[in-house]
Amino acid sequence: MDFDIIFGNAARAAFGPEAVILALAAIGLNVHFGFTGLLNFGQVGFLLLGAYGTSVSVATFGWSLWVGILVGLVLSVALAVALGFPTLRLHAVMFAIVTIAAAEIIRILIGSTDAIGLTGGPLSLSFDAGAFYDLNPYPDGPHDRYGVGTFEFTGQQMWVITVGWVLVALVSLVVFLIVRSPWGRVLKSIREDEDAARSLGKNVFSYKMQALIIGGVIGGMGGVIDAIKTSGADPNGFRPQVTFFAYTALLLGGAATYVGPVLGAILFWFLREWIESFLRQLSAEAWLPGTVADFLDGSEGVISVGMVGLALVLLMLFRPQGLTGNRTEMQLDAR
Amino acid sequence: MRRCVAFAGLVLCVMLAWVIPATAQSEGEADSSQPTVLEGTLRLGFDQYFAGVSIAVVDQSGTSIGQTVTNAEGQWSVAVPGSGTYTVTLDESTLPEGMGLREGFDSTMQVTVTQGASRAVVFAVGEAPKGTPFGERAAQTLFNGLKFGLIIAMSAIGLSLIYGTTGLVNFAHGELVTFGAVIAWYFNSSWGELNLIVAAIATVIVCGMLGAGLESGLFRPLRNRRLGIFQLVVVTIGLSLLGRQLIQLFFGAEPLPYTDFQVQERWEFGPWAVTPRELVTVAVIIAILLAVGLMLQWTRFGKATRAVSDNASLAETSGINVNRVVLMVWALGAALAGLGGVFQGLDTDIDPFLGFQLLLLIFAGVELGGLGTAFGALAGSLIIGMSTEVSTLWISPELKFVVPLAALILVLLFRPQGLFGVKARVG
Amino acid sequence: MPDELTPGIDEARSGTDELTPGIDEARSGTDSGHMGAEIEPILTVPPVIGAPKPHPILVVDDLTRSFGGLRAVDVDHLEVERGVVTALIGPNGAGKTTLFNLLTGFDRADTGRWSFDGEPVSSPSPDQLARKGMIRTFQLTKSLAKLTVLDNVLLGAPSQIGERLSAAPFRSRWQDQEEANIEQAEELLDRFNLAHMRDELAGTLSGGQRKLLEVARALMADPVMIMLDEPMAGVNPALAQSLMHHITQLAFEGLTVVFIEHAMDVVTGISDWVVVLAQGRIIAEGPPWKVIHDDEVIDAYLGRRRAGAGS
Repeated sequence: MDFDIIFGNAARAAFGPEAVILALAAIGLNVHFGFTGLLNFGQVGFLLLGAYGTSVSVATFGWSLWVGILVGLVLSVALAVALGFPTLRLHAVMFAIVTIAAAEIIRILIGSTDAIGLTGGPLSLSFDAGAFYDLNPYPDGPHDRYGVGTFEFTGQQMWVITVGWVLVALVSLVVFLIVRSPWGRVLKSIREDEDAARSLGKNVFSYKMQALIIGGVIGGMGGVIDAIKTSGADPNGFRPQVTFFAYTALLLGGAATYVGPVLGAILFWFLREWIESFLRQLSAEAWLPGTVADFLDGSEGVISVGMVGLALVLLMLFRPQGLTGNRTEMQLDAR
Repeated sequence: MRRCVAFAGLVLCVMLAWVIPATAQSEGEADSSQPTVLEGTLRLGFDQYFAGVSIAVVDQSGTSIGQTVTNAEGQWSVAVPGSGTYTVTLDESTLPEGMGLREGFDSTMQVTVTQGASRAVVFAVGEAPKGTPFGERAAQTLFNGLKFGLIIAMSAIGLSLIYGTTGLVNFAHGELVTFGAVIAWYFNSSWGELNLIVAAIATVIVCGMLGAGLESGLFRPLRNRRLGIFQLVVVTIGLSLLGRQLIQLFFGAEPLPYTDFQVQERWEFGPWAVTPRELVTVAVIIAILLAVGLMLQWTRFGKATRAVSDNASLAETSGINVNRVVLMVWALGAALAGLGGVFQGLDTDIDPFLGFQLLLLIFAGVELGGLGTAFGALAGSLIIGMSTEVSTLWISPELKFVVPLAALILVLLFRPQGLFGVKARVG
Repeated sequence: MPDELTPGIDEARSGTDELTPGIDEARSGTDSGHMGAEIEPILTVPPVIGAPKPHPILVVDDLTRSFGGLRAVDVDHLEVERGVVTALIGPNGAGKTTLFNLLTGFDRADTGRWSFDGEPVSSPSPDQLARKGMIRTFQLTKSLAKLTVLDNVLLGAPSQIGERLSAAPFRSRWQDQEEANIEQAEELLDRFNLAHMRDELAGTLSGGQRKLLEVARALMADPVMIMLDEPMAGVNPALAQSLMHHITQLAFEGLTVVFIEHAMDVVTGISDWVVVLAQGRIIAEGPPWKVIHDDEVIDAYLGRRRAGAGS
């Protein structure tokens, strides 16, 4: 059992591109759910359009990567608008279910064999993200490594995560600036009671739409990073559970806080990878009975995702406000 | 015609089976020291592989890169010189008699691969389309839709009643459905090899106990701790993830069929060709829905349930034991969801995602009808089931789940409260 | 409560309307013109149903709303006088709240037309009406639990620059206005004895304090007409007393006040005009001392109360 390796893997995951993507998804959800109270269960749809908008533009249409990124973000806005019109008037529960359904519709359509010519269909689509990596300031030789011990990245990875975390910081700053303003106060009032907001002359639909678009575009940025990181997109990377992972990160860190979603995303990947690495090491241990080792072998990923589910349950039981949330606010919620 | 339905399931299976290795590859960094390969497997379901089919690969300039035939496992692979776009062609004449490429697949495909990666290429093979009159196909899809709608409706009862009595939207309801399908599979094919009918009865009991256990062991204590409704919903999402992964851990991701009732002679009724097991499915579910409807209308338990749904605190003060009603609702709902899983498994084979796939349609059915109305849930479910199946007359079966979900969104655009729902008052 | 099932809210169709230019004039007109005419004109109005008022701010015609077979509201003609306190009373289920919901756009009428402040109101949305100065409160208080008391009141302020997304990130653009609003909000909190709770979360307030907060918030919105749905319900007698005082004070300042009340005794003390609703219809209107002696009111309303075991 080599805890150095386990820790190294966990730390790499916690600060790697996956955590950046999750953090962006969770920040977007925080605007939706944390501040506005919109129970968006289709956040993955925004990531999907961000990723496919970029990938399809470059791979299928041969446009430049930068145009592709723009297309990805514009598609996220389009989804927010298209989704918002029929659904923003719905009861919270209905809104949740419709958003899940909308994201699934998009995934099924994009992943269908009929769409092969455009999106690659069920196959993963890959493109050349060279335009992005050309700007990489980190020397990226075969032996260039950045980090300490087992916690290290290649030059290419460093470039992705540098851009990624800077983006996360900028987005967090913007969210902070707009939410602490009177505009943010209206969002929160809608979360608390939209009829009250209406009775005071606030155009609730318009504010919800603005929030949906902003949170959606932030999710779309996560999708763009995903596309760049993998130089492609795959419909199976955008199953509904991605949204639930984003909720886990958000609730873990603390909804309606500014650092919560980022902290939550880091912690989510740290714990998930720690468990997976730990199990992988464990299944190789000689003292473990053969049947147990066989059972574990190859199931590490399945178990670690299951642990996410367990973590959600435990979180709600013992710390529903998350790490940075406010206990008193939470108790007001339960009344 | 049955093939058509089988295909629907198959598409899911094929997508699953194909995409898992494909994902693994795309996630691994392309290692430029590895050979660059195009590869694939030709198969139908999980038992039929096509050997001896020839595949040719040419590059963009039209230069032939390689030609191969599939081996006994239906596998083929062609090494290519490096990154680029290649044209892969399958020679349809080398497929077995009566087989062809499924609609939507061309025998020629363009694929792009990066240096050092291996890229999976999918040619979906199926029975060559035979000319069936439209009327007959329409009749058959209607029946399939009825059956599917009934399965959704039965599974939806629990979701709807639990929402009605406690306000909780149970995202783990789909996993109750999967659990039913899987437990019945174990009873039927693994432990004791019980006849599927016996296994189904045992499953209903086990699922009912599981539902009661969840309520008394988890949700009631949580309600007593005054957890907010959103927190409870998150708990069910957590349980859903946990349950699905546990099922996958023990059952595996590969779809499996039950041992019994797999091969059955079709009975012809006019334009319909129906297997006995499909008839039994439809008949049993209709009987159960009737029984549940009568029970809600006339029995003490039914009246108490409706009273609790209407106003729990008022019901409590009029001497109804709310906790017991909710416990019964959970037991009943879980039992019916489990049975729904058995029927669905009988129809499409069992895999860990069976219930979650169904969950969205259950939600859609309940919501289409109007949240919290029993009749609405039934009608909504039937509409969802029918539109799913009937849509396959015009669109590819792999897209059939899009239709009911899109219909849901459209309906809510004009009737936000659902077809049979009532708006709530403000102030 | 038989009339609980009413359609929800229809949101702004064209929600971006700003305050119409006419409003400010109308408002200042009220302020100057009203004081001289105080109370007097309303006393000249005969106590008959649908009586025209000298300076009506709200005029309603043929307003109906049914739920299933039940006609919850059926008003032929109603005028509300500007700058006085009008009480809307009636037994449980008389349709008072439904009428409020219709007038404020929170529910959609089956038929009817009405005008507010001289302008016809067609298919109103609640936020548009609110921006025109018709501000309401709710029977079950809608305090925003996880906002501070101060933020609750600040939310009421109209035409905030910082509520526009384009200005929101730049504090300098809205800071001055915000500071002025804070000042005004603090005055209001002071007036309603909530100043010491300024930075507490509204969810921690008592029920009575929440009622006061809601009225303060509504006043912050700079209303032309304020509509209070049972402001005294669930408020302890001392607080209710001070709230009643505030309400009469508001009318002195030129504001039109309409409030729903269940208890007759409250009404006589503070209202200038009383409208009695029973089974969705107006069965009497007039000055309070006349209305309470109206036979039909006693039958429909007080009679029922007596039968209700002297509650």
